Amino acid sequence: MKADLASTALLRRFEPVIRSTSGDRFYPMDVEPYVRACSLWVQKPGEEAVCVVPDGKLSLDRLSQQPLDEAGAVHFLKLSDVEDIGPDSRGGRLRLFRRRAKDRKEVRQAFRAGRGRLARVGYFSRFVDALYSIALLARGRVPGESAAAASVTYERIMAEHENYRYHGRVLRQDGWIVLQYWLFYPFNNWRSGFFGANDHEADWEKVFVYLSETEEGEISPEWVAYAAHNYTGDNLRRRWDDPEVEKVGEHPVIYVGAGSHASYYAPGEYLTELTLPLPKPMARTTSSIRSFWETKLGQYVGDGGEGGGYFSIPFVDYARGDGLSVGEGGDRAWDEPRLLADPIPDWVSGYRGLWGLYARDPFEGEDAPAGPMYNRDKSVNRAWYDPVGWAGLDKVPPPTETLQAILEQRADIISRCGALRAEIDDKSRRLKKLGTELAAIRDRSHLDAPYEEGARLVAELSGELDRLRARLATDEAVSESLEEYADRLRAGERDPARAHISRAHRPASEDELRVSRVAEGWAAISVSLMLISFVGIAMFEREHLISMLVFSIAFFAFVEAGFRGRLVNLVSSANIGLAVVATLIIIYEFFWQLVVAAVLVVGLYVLWDNVRELRR
Amino acid sequence: MEPDRTSCRTVKVIGVLLILEVIGLIAIGVFEFSQVHWRGLDLESPQHQAVEVGVFALFIPSGVLTLLAALSFLFLRRRGWLLAAIAQGLSLAVSLWLYSLFQPGYVYPIMAYCVLIILYLNSRDVRVAFLPRRGSGASYEG
Repeated sequence: MKADLASTALLRRFEPVIRSTSGDRFYPMDVEPYVRACSLWVQKPGEEAVCVVPDGKLSLDRLSQQPLDEAGAVHFLKLSDVEDIGPDSRGGRLRLFRRRAKDRKEVRQAFRAGRGRLARVGYFSRFVDALYSIALLARGRVPGESAAAASVTYERIMAEHENYRYHGRVLRQDGWIVLQYWLFYPFNNWRSGFFGANDHEADWEKVFVYLSETEEGEISPEWVAYAAHNYTGDNLRRRWDDPEVEKVGEHPVIYVGAGSHASYYAPGEYLTELTLPLPKPMARTTSSIRSFWETKLGQYVGDGGEGGGYFSIPFVDYARGDGLSVGEGGDRAWDEPRLLADPIPDWVSGYRGLWGLYARDPFEGEDAPAGPMYNRDKSVNRAWYDPVGWAGLDKVPPPTETLQAILEQRADIISRCGALRAEIDDKSRRLKKLGTELAAIRDRSHLDAPYEEGARLVAELSGELDRLRARLATDEAVSESLEEYADRLRAGERDPARAHISRAHRPASEDELRVSRVAEGWAAISVSLMLISFVGIAMFEREHLISMLVFSIAFFAFVEAGFRGRLVNLVSSANIGLAVVATLIIIYEFFWQLVVAAVLVVGLYVLWDNVRELRR
Repeated sequence: MEPDRTSCRTVKVIGVLLILEVIGLIAIGVFEFSQVHWRGLDLESPQHQAVEVGVFALFIPSGVLTLLAALSFLFLRRRGWLLAAIAQGLSLAVSLWLYSLFQPGYVYPIMAYCVLIILYLNSRDVRVAFLPRRGSGASYEG
């Protein structure tokens, strides 16, 4: 009980302030009323889904029982209001339709998308996006009424008892005290509300604060990590003193993506791209050609296409922070958190199912998420069992342990250097002895075999000594660096706050957002227009099919590049393509002349080089 | 936006190379035109020599663009890069098109020269010399 109070106090001391986007309809809430409003279902392989606990009968305690469990079964919750409002009945459908229309109108009034996501990315991405949208018709997805039904349920719950609550957990790992803030939203309406990738019932998001503790028990915040989509690792976390981490007192501020509820450090519009990688052999070939082009030919390659992913589907996360804010200094205050303390509540550890509708989407984007402890496949969530590693903090000791870690590492290296020196001395002596032995038996025909064996041993030993000396030199340099690092730390110096970040998620800049309506319009119609023009050419210009296709592709590419400010890249790429073709033609037409010319050039060069040497 | 001193030489070299290209185009054009017996033209002949020479006029737009780019480079304007690249692309495209139709002899030296200039324009040193400097607000696009 005392531990719970201490945990709650710690959680409340650093609890985040969330700033949502105007137009967002769902905010972090307690799971209990949500579960009460749901029914529990089981989907067994090859069978229809079965309701095992009807709405009104479900509670957090019953949730953990997971009835009718068997291999391949998927348990999931369903927001009861979809059925209550009754999409099966005509009146129910009408009510839901009206509700959707009302929601859309309200969102339209509160939220304007601004520059369309499609205008921010390239042609291929827009083409792949069109395919993605078409695929959504065939994939399992959350029905259109669900967002409206969730909205009705959420409003009802809030009318009964308005609550803004997070689920908190405090744990110690690798010297860190980790404060986990699990935020539960009843619905993710990113796709239907904000042109995003998916909709799903229920949404679990998380924000972690990492604290260090001195021997005297003094606690100080060191790092924070905000979850955004499925990202993990170093780029997720920020140091507490990083200027990007906005704070209200000791409370970090989170800018929440509209509909997606992804968490960001700064307000703005984030381009989130789902990158589709090239097949491995093709990626390898592309990488080799790129490397040859850049290193051997000294050509400029820019920074595109790294990592083998060339097609991406763009989505924009609107985290503007201009909507309702919850927490310190916000529009609403947090209610008392629901603790996920030891022993872990059964509804967390016992229920491995999904927290909303199971849409049977093969890409899983439209399926509801599992609870904080599990992944959708029922494996344990890394953020739950290894929150330090999840944010890439497992290689970083807490400040109170850093100096000690450095000194220990240096002591290890010094001891290794001692051992290396002894080994080098020993092997060096052996090498000298072998060398003298070799000198003694050289040019003695009856000792040819031992001479060859000795020469081999000398070469091996010499190589090994070289490696050992190189390693010793490196270790000594590392040891010196560690000593300097320790001195800097003793002097109170710290590493740069953002040294660990390789690719920070940044909101779109003002320049990127500034675009004409014409560019937006072009982005919206260009893919369809191109496909229609191809069909038109195929139907009416068969005589000039190739040239017309080339001309139309060139036209679309030129206009596109103009709108996107990529004219230089387009011209450069087109020129390279033409140059390759022209080179092949020249080689084809003048192969032997080129060979003769090359031989002549080499001969003249050798002659010039030799004559120059003679004249010295 | 003027280039810094270190890239001045690169910019001037490109300018000179482009001037040489224009001179070469004019020389080829004059030579080809002088080879045709304009009075005894026989358009039915399988050689189509006059047509082959006539279509050389297609190089006029790219030649003008090349000249403008060259002057732009010589007066140290960064914006000439895009102009030069478009001119080279245009010359090469015309050459390849003519090659696919008549295979006239003059397209080969033009193709070879354009390939070299394209590679030079796209070389890392040249591209870096023309990249906009951070915070300068200069446009690479011209």
